[in-house]
Amino acid sequence: MVKREETIAFFVEQAKNDFSLVEKNLAGVISEIKNSNMKKLNYIEEFDAADVLRQVAELKKAKYKGKLFGVPVTVKDAICVKGIESKAGSKILKGYKPLFDANVIERARAEGAIILAKTTQDEFGFGTFATHTEKVPKNPFDNERSCGGSSGGAAGFTAFTKNFHVAIGESTGGSIAAPASFCGIVGITPTYGLVSRYGLIDYANSLDKIGAIGKNAEDAALLLEVIAGYDARDSTSLENGFKKEDATIKRLAVIKDFFEGCDEEVKKVVQKKISELRKFYEVEEVSLPLNVKYALAAYYIIATCEASTNLAKLSGLRYGAQGDVGGKHFDEYFSEIRSREFSDEAKRRIILGTFARMSGYRDAYYLKAMRVRTKLINEFNNAFKRYDLLLNPTMPVVAPKFCEIEELTPLQNFAMDLCTVPANLAGLPHISVNAGFINGLPVGLMAIAPHLQERRLYSFAKVME
Amino acid sequence: MSDETTVMIGLEIHASLNTKSKLFCACATDSTLPNSSCCPICLGHPGSKPVLNEKAVEFATKIGLALNCKINEDFFFSRKTYFYPDMASNYQITQYEIPVAENGFVFLNSGKKVGIKRAHIEWDPAALVHPSGMGKSSYVLIDYNRSGMPLIEIVTQPDLSTPAEAREFMNLLENVLGYLQVLKPDTTLKVDCNISINGGERTEIKNVSGFAAVEKALTFELARQKQEVKRGNKIEQHTRAFNAETGTTVELRKKETEADYGYIFDPDLVKVTLSKEFLTKIKIELPELPEQKAKRLQEQYKLSEYDARVLCSDLVLGKLFDSIVSKSADAITAARLLTREVLAVLNHDSLSLSDVDVKAEDLLELVQLLSSGKVSDKNAKQSVINYISGDKSSPKVFLEKNNLLISATVDLDSIINKVINANRKAVVDYAGGNEKSLNFLAGLVMREAKGTVSPKIVLEELKKKLS
Repeated sequence: MVKREETIAFFVEQAKNDFSLVEKNLAGVISEIKNSNMKKLNYIEEFDAADVLRQVAELKKAKYKGKLFGVPVTVKDAICVKGIESKAGSKILKGYKPLFDANVIERARAEGAIILAKTTQDEFGFGTFATHTEKVPKNPFDNERSCGGSSGGAAGFTAFTKNFHVAIGESTGGSIAAPASFCGIVGITPTYGLVSRYGLIDYANSLDKIGAIGKNAEDAALLLEVIAGYDARDSTSLENGFKKEDATIKRLAVIKDFFEGCDEEVKKVVQKKISELRKFYEVEEVSLPLNVKYALAAYYIIATCEASTNLAKLSGLRYGAQGDVGGKHFDEYFSEIRSREFSDEAKRRIILGTFARMSGYRDAYYLKAMRVRTKLINEFNNAFKRYDLLLNPTMPVVAPKFCEIEELTPLQNFAMDLCTVPANLAGLPHISVNAGFINGLPVGLMAIAPHLQERRLYSFAKVME
Repeated sequence: MSDETTVMIGLEIHASLNTKSKLFCACATDSTLPNSSCCPICLGHPGSKPVLNEKAVEFATKIGLALNCKINEDFFFSRKTYFYPDMASNYQITQYEIPVAENGFVFLNSGKKVGIKRAHIEWDPAALVHPSGMGKSSYVLIDYNRSGMPLIEIVTQPDLSTPAEAREFMNLLENVLGYLQVLKPDTTLKVDCNISINGGERTEIKNVSGFAAVEKALTFELARQKQEVKRGNKIEQHTRAFNAETGTTVELRKKETEADYGYIFDPDLVKVTLSKEFLTKIKIELPELPEQKAKRLQEQYKLSEYDARVLCSDLVLGKLFDSIVSKSADAITAARLLTREVLAVLNHDSLSLSDVDVKAEDLLELVQLLSSGKVSDKNAKQSVINYISGDKSSPKVFLEKNNLLISATVDLDSIINKVINANRKAVVDYAGGNEKSLNFLAGLVMREAKGTVSPKIVLEELKKKLS
């Protein structure tokens, strides 16, 4: 049970009348940033103290005291903050300082948030363990282990801090739920289009969703309420917003297929939690055979096809990493920069995605994956005719050790996303909430709601807590 | 074996649409200072997202309708990926599977039907500026003002059979687009010309500007292909460039096949659905097009097909005619004045109507003088020459100042007497049945009267005298 005094909403209420609380909380968070940097826990990609002080000075004068008044908000590196280096965890974008704030940043600022720092992530979101980057965040529960990815820094710092703070994350195939699970906190990934992508450095545009990470469901839902809403600058933006309100939930179904590849201990923890939930809800089982069989394949084709076009613009010409152009043909120069600055994982996904949309393969892979996607969405929608929410373990394992991750083949790596990818591919809102621990390591339970039913996730998570 | 060569020519025409802002951002389209009109979107900055300019869709829909195309009520945009320094994102947002319009046609003057394969919307890359000329500069500058400008690409079926037909098609297309008023003013249509002979592989001549150049490039390429085939060589599919100075084409590169662009649906943009209301509104707004107008002029004013077609071959000319006849002037006279005299003077001086200050009121006065028999054709012509390339005084003022109007005060009787007395042989010949002599005498009378009498009256008076 989360106490009211532990929530951001409570802090904001107090801070509106006493600005010293803002300053005290902020000082605490900043010292945690410094502390975590010193210990090389690598949650923070970029922190500009002067910029933060400027914001505080302005906040002090502000007439309107919003829903996030004085709350320090960290931002996944892929989300543009005006004038602050935003490089999506990639070397190739070193030095890129956006000329504009992402829509979510504008919204958070308008409600009095302090945009504190950029958090570490897998390069462009390419990963499940936040290891595909230079600054690899370390799990606060065990520094030998991964925070999960790709929003690893966001989840890691949220678990690490003792102060009031929320984190803006982003999920393409599970990048909010996975680190939330490994770090024992709450991550909400909204319906595709609920939160504007304007200002998000793209991984796979038809899958990318900016979402909210907090220590508890109240905090994450409050942040989501602030950042959700229509934005004319994102053509895929929806008009529905999100209001933090309770919804009625009666019947749940456990997606039994998603347990199959799970670690036995993880299964037990999740099943135990689910049996406790029977006090509140009818719980049944459901099978999603198409999603189990095809979601990962369709996801990796679509995501890499889109990613390979998104990354084409990164060629050392206008921003980010540069090189010596002297006497070179542009192809030669582009290749040089891209070969030097992209990680192996980025190159792997560029090659995979380019292949799947090329002559002779486009029909068999890209177009087929797009058609499969529709079928998978339908499978979910059918299940939602009978159930209000669907449940599964967020991750098949607890946070693995870095040395274990190194042993995984790319395919085993991709397979870690089995439980998170289907909902992401279908653009369905989902939440990961802590369900218990195994040897002190958190285990996440994931709930999936129909499109635009984020309120159910909020209500459910509060019951879980 | 027959030496008949089958020629297939297809054109891909690119034109800039006249929207106020760019295709996917709010940047102005009329800036001239380099790089003064660009933003994170048209610069391809990470995090920026395109938002479709609806005006461009409206213009493209009008073009589709004017070219008798099927308008796709649902369409979307795709990414065409290739690396090039002028391409801010290294992919072009264009339309691939479903364009805004497809399967249309137009008729050439000969009555030949030319198929329109498709018309689609896409964004223009930035402009590469070679400060001291292509191939000579040691560096290249990029002007992003052009990046993201809205283009329409119109693709014909390979139905054109001669370079001259290709040119005629271009004239016709430009006229239709002019009537729609959807193109950026002073835009040059850029054409990729595809040509093949005897069912062989085609070559594509990239980026030809100007209609004369289209005809020239195709003429050269046709001769070149014939020569190659004659020598026993096979034409391979490839891309060529046209050198306007030498009038020749040179090989650029082997043509990449379409699919190598790795098209995907642009996931930043959503499917566009044209509502019934939108389509109805566009159809209502569609102006009268050249072909319809020519038909109307023939029916309404009994103009000849030729006059009607000439009047409609140019938007400004057609409008000039409309405003003259709207003042209840004689339409046939007005048509003849415009298609013969006015165009003759313009063509002679290589001018177009938009270069000169020709006012409908001034021409209306002249039409009225002509139709009431108060000025001879010859003097009318003089007045038009003076109006366009002389001191530019109105035709009526010119005619009055120079006493060239037919007036009742001329002493026709004494002029006729004078001419008869001085040309007895012609008088005798006429009496002997030679009709030509009468015309000869009438000409002399006209000359003596400086054209200020009507030829009809002169003939009548002469006949009376000589009978």
